[in-house]
Amino acid sequence: MSKEKYKLHPISALINFIKVLKDMIVPLVFVVAVNGFGSGGDSEGWSSYITYIIYGVILLFLLVSGIIKWKRFRYWFEEEELRIEYGLFVKKKRYIPFERIQSLNYTEGILHRPFGLVKVKVETAGGGQTKEADAELTAITKDAAEQIKKEMLQAKNKLPVDSDETIQVEEIVERQTKPVFHISQKELFILASTSGGIGVFFSGLAVFISQFSEIIPYETIYDEFQVFIKFGVLLIALAVFLVLLVAWIVSVVITFINYYDFTIRVEDNEIIITRGLLEKKKITIPLSRIQGIRIAENPLRQLTGYATVIVDSAGGSLSEKDEKIRLLPLIKKKEINKILLQIFPEFQLDPNYINVPKRSRKFFYRLDFVWMIPVACVVIYFFYPYGLLSLLLFPISFGIGVWQHKTMGYYIDQQHLIVQYRIISKTTVWLEKRRIQSMTERTTYFQKRVGVSSIITTIKSGIGGAVTTVSHLDKEDAEILLSWYEPARTKNTQIEKEQLPNFETINLN
Amino acid sequence: MRAEPTNRISEKGLRVWYIYGILQSLIVLLVGIGVGTINYFTGEYVWLYIVTGAVVLIAGYLLTYLFPKVRWMRWRYEVREQEIELQHGLFIVKRTLVPMVRVQHVDTEQGPILRKYNLSSITISTAATSHTIPALITEEADELRGRISVLARVAEDDV
Repeated sequence: MSKEKYKLHPISALINFIKVLKDMIVPLVFVVAVNGFGSGGDSEGWSSYITYIIYGVILLFLLVSGIIKWKRFRYWFEEEELRIEYGLFVKKKRYIPFERIQSLNYTEGILHRPFGLVKVKVETAGGGQTKEADAELTAITKDAAEQIKKEMLQAKNKLPVDSDETIQVEEIVERQTKPVFHISQKELFILASTSGGIGVFFSGLAVFISQFSEIIPYETIYDEFQVFIKFGVLLIALAVFLVLLVAWIVSVVITFINYYDFTIRVEDNEIIITRGLLEKKKITIPLSRIQGIRIAENPLRQLTGYATVIVDSAGGSLSEKDEKIRLLPLIKKKEINKILLQIFPEFQLDPNYINVPKRSRKFFYRLDFVWMIPVACVVIYFFYPYGLLSLLLFPISFGIGVWQHKTMGYYIDQQHLIVQYRIISKTTVWLEKRRIQSMTERTTYFQKRVGVSSIITTIKSGIGGAVTTVSHLDKEDAEILLSWYEPARTKNTQIEKEQLPNFETINLN
Repeated sequence: MRAEPTNRISEKGLRVWYIYGILQSLIVLLVGIGVGTINYFTGEYVWLYIVTGAVVLIAGYLLTYLFPKVRWMRWRYEVREQEIELQHGLFIVKRTLVPMVRVQHVDTEQGPILRKYNLSSITISTAATSHTIPALITEEADELRGRISVLARVAEDDV
């Protein structure tokens, strides 16, 4: 094993600089704005330059610190560890055992591309101090990145460092399996155009409605006032619409750039996601880290038969608090099964759900009424005639409650729990029993009176937990769920589970 | 119906909760006195005195007697070979199952008031959640912590 120390590519000095600048952009703009406008006109001579000098010094300092950071950065491989030495003023060393490395994520930014470089993010298993355990190599050549992976694989498999073996490892690294999923142009376009949200639609509606103000008998009111109001409403609606339109176009472009060429591969029990037009991102998720799968269908996409598939992954970096990774950003619901079965052989979608009883329907909207009644009272009191419109909240909330009640359902087989629920979007959660960290039955006083309770499950997601609730199901069913989860009663089935075919055998073809 | 978990927390725990309740109601009392004082100097509405007095009295009763009592009656736990079961809650009853396999570590903790009564609380953490049994005799808590950590180590699984 070589003990040669490697440096990053010089371009990382520039990247460091830009990164710090990007982090500081908000306070910097703020300071510039305050200073610029505050002392702009009447200050004389050198004193107006002093601010510019300060900015110059700051920029220079950042640039130099970027260069020093790059100069000081070293990494090397020793005793099956990735060792890093870095630090601007204080020299720090970080040793990461290869065994502990969960995944290596690659990103190719605009600055990386011309030189054939990548940014490598080393992720370790999540502990309390995850941020400390992670490492980032700002820019190294692709060969160097391969070498890290090679060293890691060697250390993990405890391979001797024979030349033959090295070649074999290289083959593993080089092998590219057929993609499990690749986003089509059409899907990419739909994803981009529906991601901007519903705001544009409503503001368009506002412009439309303002046109109809002709019909409203303004004539009876003051003539001049009328013109002003009509003009004002139209102008504001138009302005809002334009702003939202621009926001929408920006979000379409951003989504398009981010999700361009979105591809999923499965290699060596890892899911590999690559995406991006300008900045190519490569994310690897070990299959063993995936804790649950959720399928979200917002009403708009539900109508058109599209859905989003999100996976919860354990561990990961602190920056992403709960690691919800969009595995399939947009997919026809019919095709989900086909794709996911290749990755998760046990996956199942839309079984025969057990619904929650009719008597629990009131729990889905009643609690909303509690806060809505005083709000409606206040609104009606202060804005008498128009305030009455707030009463519309009740049927709307009732309708949504009934809808939620209708959607709520769950299904269990020996090892899996599938829950379907709705807030506004419909979500289906697929959980493995062995991934559920704890299960709680929750009964309020009112639920108890009608023999209903809720079941709350928690799985690990990122460094925290993600909660899935089966709301207001029959008390007896809730207890069935509890005993389903109770390990003592399911000992036999666990042994059965181990006899199931391993994932690798399925993946080979 | 599932049977309730068998073990109760220490009776001395109830006494500690009474003390907590007294502290909390002292805060309510202070707020009440504040309202009364402001009323004395500004409005002098008689009904405000009555309402404030009633609120303080009721809150005092609930906080120092009824809530701790109900909470204590409700609190149950059971540590079995394969899982830990907890039940607690004042208005909302929660029953939680934590499989031994999922237990990552167990802590015991002792604040100043708990120490005076020779009590400890014990916290069981999984990868994503943590659960606390609030008041156990210190020796009992230590013994339980040891037992859980042994059981958790035995129950090895695939995560």
